[in-house]
Amino acid sequence: MSFPRFNLKGKMLKPSTVSGYFRATSQVVSNQLNVSNNAAILPKKKVAHIPFQGTSALSLAKTLPNANLSVSCGPAASLQVRWAHTDITVPNFDNYRRNSTKDPTRKASETEDTRKNFTYLLAGGLGAASVYGTKNIVTYFISSMSASADVLALAKIEVKLGDIPEGKSVTFKWRGKPLFIRHRTADEIAAERAVPVESLRDPQHDNDRIQKPEWLVVLGVCTHLGCVPIANSGDFGGYYCPCHGSHYDASGRIRKGPAPLNLEVPYYEFAAEDTLVVG
Amino acid sequence: MSIGKTIYNSIFKRSSTFTLAFIASAFIFERTLDSACDTIFDNINKGKLWKDIKDNYTQ
Repeated sequence: MSFPRFNLKGKMLKPSTVSGYFRATSQVVSNQLNVSNNAAILPKKKVAHIPFQGTSALSLAKTLPNANLSVSCGPAASLQVRWAHTDITVPNFDNYRRNSTKDPTRKASETEDTRKNFTYLLAGGLGAASVYGTKNIVTYFISSMSASADVLALAKIEVKLGDIPEGKSVTFKWRGKPLFIRHRTADEIAAERAVPVESLRDPQHDNDRIQKPEWLVVLGVCTHLGCVPIANSGDFGGYYCPCHGSHYDASGRIRKGPAPLNLEVPYYEFAAEDTLVVG
Repeated sequence: MSIGKTIYNSIFKRSSTFTLAFIASAFIFERTLDSACDTIFDNINKGKLWKDIKDNYTQ
């Protein structure tokens, strides 16, 4: 180590000689010991001058010039300053490499496909997971808009047709609206079939409005302003709206008055011979 | 190695087939997960479900 730059080569270690190294002290007080000249002769030390070899980062940094740099320039002097970068070993990145690329003698193109496949598989897995999650979120929000089970349960009604006598119109409540089911007589059926379609305001033949000729199923909402018509009244023997005087016939078609359209026919089907399901 | 090359060239190389592949795998994953969860639920609740006790109440 190069710490003690001064060495005491074969010199006597006496107070008189030591005082030269401690100039800060103003006065050397001699002790009371009687020191003879031959009392402490140190053996001559062998000093080997080993050239400086810095290996640690600190000692390397100490060799760098850090002050009073002067660069001499000329034909004999080179401008090049050689820094300590040629003897630093390249760091080992094996911990960050894939196993297939650790061998430096293998070609990278040989393992290219497997490495790409691995990366794309991860990306594809992420894509599949996000598609799955997105689908569930979208389904959740869309299904919140659909009708709930209690609403769906009230969406259909079942009517026993045997309880309705011929020539009578019965009113049911269906989806909050009145529903007319009319058991038509043979005379009414024949009369409605004979009506010329061209003479109607909303031209529709009787056959287009019914499934079985005896049964007329219409919504009891006047197409004018939404009043509930009265059954078996009016000029045409069908329905009559008391609000503004619209007359409907026994097929629910508008014949007289302000209403523009025929009474609406809902979707219905005959579940059995005498059972009607509306909705 | 050749299998990896085939997979890469047929699926991962084009974005269209890549997208199709992961949408299809999401579909398969969902069906598999749902049926697996249903099976686990049925096994845990065996004997309590309507389909297990239906024969006691219907002719």
